[in-house]
Amino acid sequence: MSVETTTEAAAAPKKGMNILFGLTLLGLLLFLWLLLGLSTNAFWTSNNISNLLRQGAMTAILAVGQTFVIITAGIDLSVGAVVGFSSVTVAWLLQHGVPLWPAMGITLLIGMLIGAFHAFGIVRMGLPAFIITLATLTSLRGIGLLITNGSTISISDESFTNFSRADFLGIPSLFWMVVVVAIPAYIFLHLSRWGRYLFAVGSNSEAARLSGVNVNRTIYLAYILSSTCAAFVGLLLASRIGIGNATQAEGWELQAIASSVIGGTSLFGAVGSVQGPLLGAFILATINNGANLLNINAFVQRIITGLLIIVIVYFDQLRRRGSR
Amino acid sequence: MTGLYDVSHRNEDGAQKGPKHPVPKGQPILELRGLQKKYGAVEALKPANITFLSGEIHAIVGENGAGKSTLIKLLTGVIRRTAGEVFWCGNPVQLATPNEAISRGINAVHQEVVLCRHLTVAANMFLGDEMNRNGLMRMRAMTDAAQAVLNDLGFNLPAGAVLSDLTIGQQQLVATARAAMRGTQFLIFDEPTAYLTRQESAQLFRLIRRLQAEGVTIVYISHRMEEVFELADRVSVLRDGTHVGTRTIAETNDAELIKMMINRTIEQIYHKEALPIGATIMETRGLSGPGFEDVSLSVRAGEIVGLYGLIGAGRSEFALGLYGRQPVSAGEILWQGQKVDIRNERTAMDLGIALAPESRRDQGLCLNLPIGLNINLPVFDRLTSGLTINRRREIENADRQINDLKIKTPSRRVLASAMSGGNQQKIVIGKWLSHGAKLFIFDEPTVGVDVGTKAEIYRLFARLLEQGAGIILISSYLPEVYELADRLHVFRQGRLVASHTYRSASHEEVLTQAIGV
Repeated sequence: MSVETTTEAAAAPKKGMNILFGLTLLGLLLFLWLLLGLSTNAFWTSNNISNLLRQGAMTAILAVGQTFVIITAGIDLSVGAVVGFSSVTVAWLLQHGVPLWPAMGITLLIGMLIGAFHAFGIVRMGLPAFIITLATLTSLRGIGLLITNGSTISISDESFTNFSRADFLGIPSLFWMVVVVAIPAYIFLHLSRWGRYLFAVGSNSEAARLSGVNVNRTIYLAYILSSTCAAFVGLLLASRIGIGNATQAEGWELQAIASSVIGGTSLFGAVGSVQGPLLGAFILATINNGANLLNINAFVQRIITGLLIIVIVYFDQLRRRGSR
Repeated sequence: MTGLYDVSHRNEDGAQKGPKHPVPKGQPILELRGLQKKYGAVEALKPANITFLSGEIHAIVGENGAGKSTLIKLLTGVIRRTAGEVFWCGNPVQLATPNEAISRGINAVHQEVVLCRHLTVAANMFLGDEMNRNGLMRMRAMTDAAQAVLNDLGFNLPAGAVLSDLTIGQQQLVATARAAMRGTQFLIFDEPTAYLTRQESAQLFRLIRRLQAEGVTIVYISHRMEEVFELADRVSVLRDGTHVGTRTIAETNDAELIKMMINRTIEQIYHKEALPIGATIMETRGLSGPGFEDVSLSVRAGEIVGLYGLIGAGRSEFALGLYGRQPVSAGEILWQGQKVDIRNERTAMDLGIALAPESRRDQGLCLNLPIGLNINLPVFDRLTSGLTINRRREIENADRQINDLKIKTPSRRVLASAMSGGNQQKIVIGKWLSHGAKLFIFDEPTVGVDVGTKAEIYRLFARLLEQGAGIILISSYLPEVYELADRLHVFRQGRLVASHTYRSASHEEVLTQAIGV
């Protein structure tokens, strides 16, 4: 006989708050850019900006995929390992004479399969997402190292490696890849029913199931999208560094999760957007870039990133509490 | 030192527990003067003046949503009052935190057990107040002390057992024993018998009388009249947040209390219209599954089929089986005469079955998502054109249900968690109205719902029936199923044990069949 107390009057409409939060993040990003522009001469050079966009692009794509999973109240710790493994896969395929486009297609397909395996472990075997993705994190690194025998495979295909250095309309092609991922991701998450199902499953999977939502399929979808995004980033990374190496992208899963969380995604599920993690990723990239320009010790950069996560998520908590 | 079993070892350390102002029996121990609680503009408790006398058993009765829970939360320091004064042993007190209430000797035993399920009985009884020596817990001593208390109370429970191995009823007894041994002077029971067997209830009643004999003041919250008359010395009635009055048990009777509680006659609440009954929509033959066995019943167009029984009697499990949520192990389902295989929820929905499940919180709603999304959840496939959702139709559908059902919200974007129990139930129902169905299953649709909303929900039933639908109404509240159902089936231990047509059996008969004595 517990009667939930009535607080109709206090609950503010949600949409306005989201836009406000997005603008706050954008403001923070612009503020950082202004600050760095004033404090170093090297920041506002086309070279540096291109570099910044390239750095941020890969985390941004990972963060978008990660966000789908976090909205379902899950987590995908394997994305960094999938990036490294995919760079090995594509390099190995090219080395063995597979033409470029099929090689990239197969790499993405393997990414999808990894995601499907995660969902299989969660849905059929009943494993926590944290465990199954942690297990693939370590296993994929191992498989990649076995294939390469612990070394690297260099990529000789120049059209592949040139891609990451190319520009289109003066903007690095890697950044265009963010746009290519973000627009469908936005349509998927915010405009299609599948997006609504992700939120519903993350909020209360039993209620979603009883409303006719295919919960298992939704979970498959989230993890497949996350791993496919990671495999795609693996291709971009291989193109950028020109090698396949299983130990690359160490710790990127944490960067992706941090970007997502800075972008307003709730680790408890059912709260998140596409624009949030994108902004989060470029805020992190800006901080790293700025710290390099200002000659701040790389170890200190890590500390700054950690503090930033605490501060932003704390303010987000205050905001949510305020809106109750 | 009062309280039955004050085994609190803190006394040795000098930290006193329990009250220091003993009040003679029959004198006011706790007085509420104009106590009020508001949430925003909503008055959950209108200014109330209630006096609790030392050593009495004081029952509080009222419908769901009458303000009983609010009152308990105020007294136990869980929420703060908006206005008014509270006097404890004649002195004004704040009762601002749970700790303040406990340190004064005010404790509560809640309907749903709030203990740690993974710890032992003894560890739970001493939780937060463990015996220790040099910082290490004295597990053996605690287990022995807890066992002594349990034995003395006549509870046949092992103190070393893990709590989750006990039944809900036994856990409730542990919670009571825990409150009893903490120097409690004022103990509130919030519908303690909801999940108890008769035997467990009897044990609990013995304990309550014993606590009373020791001078403990008892507040007993219930909506079971027979318990109130068995136990209480005085009774206070709440209705829609108002304290309607307090009576001495000897000077009142059922009829007066019910009139005070609902302030309207049964006929004004239950709308039972004689509608023509049509063809059979759905029939089960010997349906069995997890929690129910060999259930055969049918639902025809235009009728309400009531399923009555105690909690855990298999009614909800039967509904989930019918809806495809649980696998059915034997028997068959006929839908409009055709044998069907309902393997999942989608199949059930596509046939035309809708389920408003038992627990809004756990099964019915995505609480931290907007009302609009909740309402549209079953119908997003219909609101989609091409790849994307048609925003206009999405908004229209949500707003239509909000208006039709009079859901009290400024916007469809408000989160479902911000709604009261009654409005949440309307959201759950709204989902299925927009989806449409031929067979509606309502599982405990009026729990935690105020009287006005209750009447609205019943009127809605009539509307659905007029449109040719059939309804399965599952309820643990006998008057509800009794007055509304055209046919009433009684469940006990997973089986359908008796069936009645409208008003063909007495309340006592139905209750006896449900309990099985």
